[in-house]
Amino acid sequence: MADDSPASHRRDPIKSSVGNVAAQRRRQKAVTVGKERRESLFRAKRLCRVGATGDGDVSVEENDMITDEEGFLLDAQTSSAVGELKSAVASQGKGAMQKRVNALRELRRLLSKSEFPPVEAALKAGAIPLLVQCLSFGSPDEQLLEAAWCLTNIAAGKPEETKALLPALPLLIAHLGEKSSLPVAEQCAWALGNVAGEGEELRNVLLSQGALPPLARMMLPNKGSTVRTAAWALSNLIKGPDPKAATELIKVDGVLDAILRHLRKADEELATEVAWVVVYLSALSNFATGVLVKSDVLQLLVERLATSNSLQLLIPVLRSLGNLVAGDSHTTSTVLVPGHEITDGVIKVLVKCLKSDHRVLKKEASWVLSNIAAGSIEHKQLIYSSEAVPLLLRLLSTAPFDIRREVAYVLGNLCVAPTAGEGKPSLIEEHLVSLVQRGCLSGFIDLVRSADIEAARLGLQFTELVLRGMPNGDGPKLVEQEDGIDAMERYQFHENEDLRNMANGLVDKYFGEDYGVDE
Amino acid sequence: MEWNAETLQYLSQCFLHTLSPQPEPRRRAESSLSEAADRPNYGLAVLRLVAEPSVDEQIRQAAAVNFKNHLKTRWVPSNDPNAGSTFSPILDPEKDQIKALIVSLMLSSTSRIQSQLSEALAVIGKHDFPKSWPTLLPELISNLQKAAQSSDYASINGILGTANSIFKKFRYQYKTNDLFIDLKYCLDNFAAPLLEIFLKTASLIDSTAAAPGGGSLVTLRPLFESQRLCCRIFFSLNFQELPEFFEDHMREWMGEFRKYLTTNYPSVESSSDGLALVDELRAAVCENISLYMEKNEEEFQGYLNEFASAVWSLLTNVSQSSSRDKLAVTAMKFLTTVSTSVHHTLFAAEGVLQQICQSIVIPNVRLRDEDEELFEMNYIEFIRRDMEGSDLDTRRRIACELLKGIATNYKKQVIDIVSVQIQNLLSSFATNPSANWKDKDCAIYLVVSLATKKAGGTSVSTDLVDVQSFFLSVIVPELQSQDVNGFPMLKAGSLKFFTTFRGLIQKPVAFQLFPDLVRFLGAESNVVHSYAASCIEKLLLVKDEGGKARYTSADITPFVPALMNNLFNALKFPESEENQYIMKCILRVLAVADISSEIAGPCIVGLTSILNEVCKNPKNPIFNHYLFESVAILVRRACERDGSLITAFEARLFPSLQTILATDVTEFLPYAFQLLAQLVELNKPPISPSYMQIFVLLLSPDSWRRSSNVPALVRLLQAFLQKAPHEVNQEGRLTQVLGIFNMLVSSGSTDEQGFYVLNTVIENLEYGVISPYMGNIWNVLFMRLQNNRTVKFQKSLVIFMSLFLVKHGAQNLVDTMNAVQANIFLVILEQFWIPNLKLITGVIELKLTAVASTRLICESPVLLDAAAARVWGKMLDSIVTLLSRPEQDRVEEEPEMPDIAENVGYTATFVKLYNAGKKEDDPLTDVKDPKQFLVASLAKLSAVTPGRYPQMINENLEPANQTALLQLCTAYNCQIV
Repeated sequence: MADDSPASHRRDPIKSSVGNVAAQRRRQKAVTVGKERRESLFRAKRLCRVGATGDGDVSVEENDMITDEEGFLLDAQTSSAVGELKSAVASQGKGAMQKRVNALRELRRLLSKSEFPPVEAALKAGAIPLLVQCLSFGSPDEQLLEAAWCLTNIAAGKPEETKALLPALPLLIAHLGEKSSLPVAEQCAWALGNVAGEGEELRNVLLSQGALPPLARMMLPNKGSTVRTAAWALSNLIKGPDPKAATELIKVDGVLDAILRHLRKADEELATEVAWVVVYLSALSNFATGVLVKSDVLQLLVERLATSNSLQLLIPVLRSLGNLVAGDSHTTSTVLVPGHEITDGVIKVLVKCLKSDHRVLKKEASWVLSNIAAGSIEHKQLIYSSEAVPLLLRLLSTAPFDIRREVAYVLGNLCVAPTAGEGKPSLIEEHLVSLVQRGCLSGFIDLVRSADIEAARLGLQFTELVLRGMPNGDGPKLVEQEDGIDAMERYQFHENEDLRNMANGLVDKYFGEDYGVDE
Repeated sequence: MEWNAETLQYLSQCFLHTLSPQPEPRRRAESSLSEAADRPNYGLAVLRLVAEPSVDEQIRQAAAVNFKNHLKTRWVPSNDPNAGSTFSPILDPEKDQIKALIVSLMLSSTSRIQSQLSEALAVIGKHDFPKSWPTLLPELISNLQKAAQSSDYASINGILGTANSIFKKFRYQYKTNDLFIDLKYCLDNFAAPLLEIFLKTASLIDSTAAAPGGGSLVTLRPLFESQRLCCRIFFSLNFQELPEFFEDHMREWMGEFRKYLTTNYPSVESSSDGLALVDELRAAVCENISLYMEKNEEEFQGYLNEFASAVWSLLTNVSQSSSRDKLAVTAMKFLTTVSTSVHHTLFAAEGVLQQICQSIVIPNVRLRDEDEELFEMNYIEFIRRDMEGSDLDTRRRIACELLKGIATNYKKQVIDIVSVQIQNLLSSFATNPSANWKDKDCAIYLVVSLATKKAGGTSVSTDLVDVQSFFLSVIVPELQSQDVNGFPMLKAGSLKFFTTFRGLIQKPVAFQLFPDLVRFLGAESNVVHSYAASCIEKLLLVKDEGGKARYTSADITPFVPALMNNLFNALKFPESEENQYIMKCILRVLAVADISSEIAGPCIVGLTSILNEVCKNPKNPIFNHYLFESVAILVRRACERDGSLITAFEARLFPSLQTILATDVTEFLPYAFQLLAQLVELNKPPISPSYMQIFVLLLSPDSWRRSSNVPALVRLLQAFLQKAPHEVNQEGRLTQVLGIFNMLVSSGSTDEQGFYVLNTVIENLEYGVISPYMGNIWNVLFMRLQNNRTVKFQKSLVIFMSLFLVKHGAQNLVDTMNAVQANIFLVILEQFWIPNLKLITGVIELKLTAVASTRLICESPVLLDAAAARVWGKMLDSIVTLLSRPEQDRVEEEPEMPDIAENVGYTATFVKLYNAGKKEDDPLTDVKDPKQFLVASLAKLSAVTPGRYPQMINENLEPANQTALLQLCTAYNCQIV
């Protein structure tokens, strides 16, 4: 009939798009294998060297390095201190209490003496059951404090050592309550924070034993180290990966207000801890994200970003902002509307971060921008005409790999219009042409050559845009000039089928040598 | 299959016979085994046999291979819908037993069996690990620790090898949460034991090497092999991102890595075997540090300097040595990564570039004995690497990549240094050409490789040299050399240069060299005459601005006789009998040159004699394809000029084609049918009796049984139906044709072809001829519709009905259908035509179905009846959707149904011959624009009964389609009243 060459009748499916260049928001991966970056700034577990309330009576040695001999000595002293404690706990009658406190203080002193506390020796000597006993209800505050402090530093040790605290957890949690004195509650929160920092398994134990509500309530007052410690412990406790704890936290009465209040008024140290709480709330829980974006939190984050120069604060604040943008479309569709003051504010602080010397800030800022750039046409235009673009273009050609990849997502997203559903994204020709003219293509072709599969895909997707979308059919020539053919041909036999098909498809389509057809 | 002494005996016998040199018992054993393989627990039984110490090692080996292959085809998830019915899958209980046994079995077997079982384990791992095989990793780890205690390196390496293969998936899959969950699981469990064994082995190597004599190769071999496996596992586990454990233990890893790059192990490396062993470990180390350099450069930074200098001095040694390729390549890749990173300043110091160029790049680019050997012994492989981009892992290519890498930040310096180097190489050549010819080759290679690649293997200019003047002063003298056999590698390099820069060489210069290219077709070196052919072929494709061919038939016609002569002669050189470059050149020349009968004569003689030769044993599919294309284009273009030549072609080709058909040369049947179709079409009726013999063959159902033949047969059948409709209607042939249609249309994999047959019949035969058969045809189609209604089939049906309508009228369509079953037409219309119409794609198909549907609602009494008003409206709605919306909005791709075609024997695939193809026929040449046709027809129709149709439209069309229809009316200035 009509079309009679059998082979040509079978129409190819409409070539499924080489890709939707990101064009969607990207959340951070729920599962990570990498080191948690927070640790380079703050440890997930913290040793308590100087008393939480500042009344530590130990002089902290200037030099933390201890020699083997000193270590040996310390171990021996610890064992005997635990022995003392044992007999003190056993003894009854007059002076027994003071004896216990003294023994505890000695043990605590030893456990606080150096960066590498003799935890192993303490455990071996059987410290835990004794310490648990010292936590019993009705004990004097001083005893409780010393015992919790010992436990804090034991929990700061290796995973197995942290786990040894299991029998102590119910009592530590019980002492968080309103009836406890602040120093005791804070010291217990610290110990629990260390336990929560260990990992998912212990977090689940803590949650099932009800640690979250009392810790949450400790965050409500206005200042003091208690609030800071509680916030830190909470940020460890809600780390997930199960989002349940984060959702539970935001539902606790007064927590949202406290977060906002602290972000607005607190000093940088406290604001930092609170910002980490916001990071995990927004990273894990859709519910919490939904609540947060409807509050003033975005505004507050932007203000902090604009006014602070503390890297330690800027990182969680920026990350929170990114999570809120990535996690809930409400953020870009309703709050960060182009034309609103806050939107300009966001772009301005992101530009500030792009200009900073810190690679973490540059990377995270690019990530946030890439998510904003995945929004509406107006968002794309806003970024496109902002000060960010020249910075991004420079980063694309000079920055380290991980930043370049994030930057590429921003620039790629600027060039595609939002699409409903699958299919080839349509182009924003003006952006594409101008960015290509300003030299971004070579950066993307470099990504095509990258060993990183995600980056390579992004590079190929952008290359496809250029091939298809540059006016006058200039695309192939430009790609050719940047040695793009060579870059794509590397995928001829690549093990990742998707990349292989993408690359081969592009080479065939735009550079194929259809023999015989050209007559 | 039960495991008992009898089974053991039976299987042992079978496996023993599979090793027999006698074909008879071997085949019998193979077929018994493949039968037994369908029984449950066969795999388990074979595995037990492998484990049976009383059985001869040789038999157990054969069984191990069989076990692995058995798993490859049958270890599919039991709930996999795509599993297909070819093999019965292994059932879950058997799988569980195999999984329980295999690890310990593998570890206790001899090395040959171990490697088979390790592969088998990897097959299982691919499907089941880790989620459906939670015991594997713990089992491997506890065995690893046990084996480590006793320093049992056979087991250690078996376990590491297995781990290596199951972790490989982390190297190429996208980052997804699922992948990361798996990765995290592997890291949590394996990262620490891996480091432990790595450090243990490292200290064993250190102490052994430090002992007097440095340890023997026998002692150290398993240790180095073990370290290499650890490095490969390191690579897999670190590929996605830097895991916490590895970051925490970077110092340990890097310390050992560096040691292997900087330490010599004289007692091992004194033999080439031992050197290769250590080099493999070093290469694996280089891959790991390249990965870190590229992705984790911040964390790696502290180690960078020491590694850069270690790799550098290693390379300086390795570059001088002619083996050690893999190490040279991976080491250069590392430096390339550094050169393009943020730490490129390592290269900025005074003299560094000069050093790299002189002691690393140039020595690696320079031809080595291995290259010369390959050039002489295996020209095809040489060309693949040298010309076709398969050189990604050759030293020459990677050395140039290194230069390019450095040039990203130090372009000016690189250009300066390389230009000087090239000058030096050329002047060294000039002082003593016959001794220093490799210097010139090196210079040419540098220029070609550093140029930017362009489509189709050409290159744009390079900043390195002025291509024009380099061509004139360096290349042209080689091409004009009178001795086509002297210094063949230089000639090859020069021809490659010409080919690569063909677009940049001006026509007069290139043209002047044309006779030289023809001359080089006579060179004895296979590479040289292949490159000459390739150069000519590519030149003929060069386009000037505006897309016009630069070299026309007028340019080349004077050379054609000599050119053709040399091309056919080149095919007589040993090993070039099936040289695809030459055949492709023949094809290209035939496509461009004027085909006079003086040229056509010798060409058809030459081509048919080659054809007769390759028929005996088809080997090179690419060569054969160009051969058939050449025949097709020769016939087509010669007959276009002079129709009378067809008889001469027929006389030449018929014997060859008959040989193919008669001796059933499976690979060539699709080609033969396409050529026959072409010949039939070029014939003037009446068609000669010899074709009618083929027609008889064509109608035998046997011909159609191989799916690869079907498209070509359809094409041939169409040709007959068009050229000899009367003959078709004789001797019951039409019944046979329709029988074929029936057979094809009943299966989902060939139904489209069935429709081609049917459509061709409907299009070419008179209504009177086909009407007696229509009842039967409808029955067949309705039956299929009942049994297996794919969207593809329904669309084909709509197209067929449309074609029938425009050819033979709406009334005939309705009547013949309703004759099968009363009122079925309306049912079909509602259930199939209307919903599928909007899914039609393709310009011709769209026009056909739109026009036919329009005619139906404007002409057919069934639809114009008041009772059919709703159907009428729905039909119009569908037509408007079809005509007003872009394809991607109407059509959702249906997932391609996997369909196992029944192949008989050899699975040749159908390859279309471009030059024997057919122009598309439009059955509706009188209608140009289906949109206009629609609104004009509607306007005419509505004028008869004003007021009736707007209401029907209003009630039945989607609002968007009402608007679209209105817009169409406005656009064509028609009105529906």
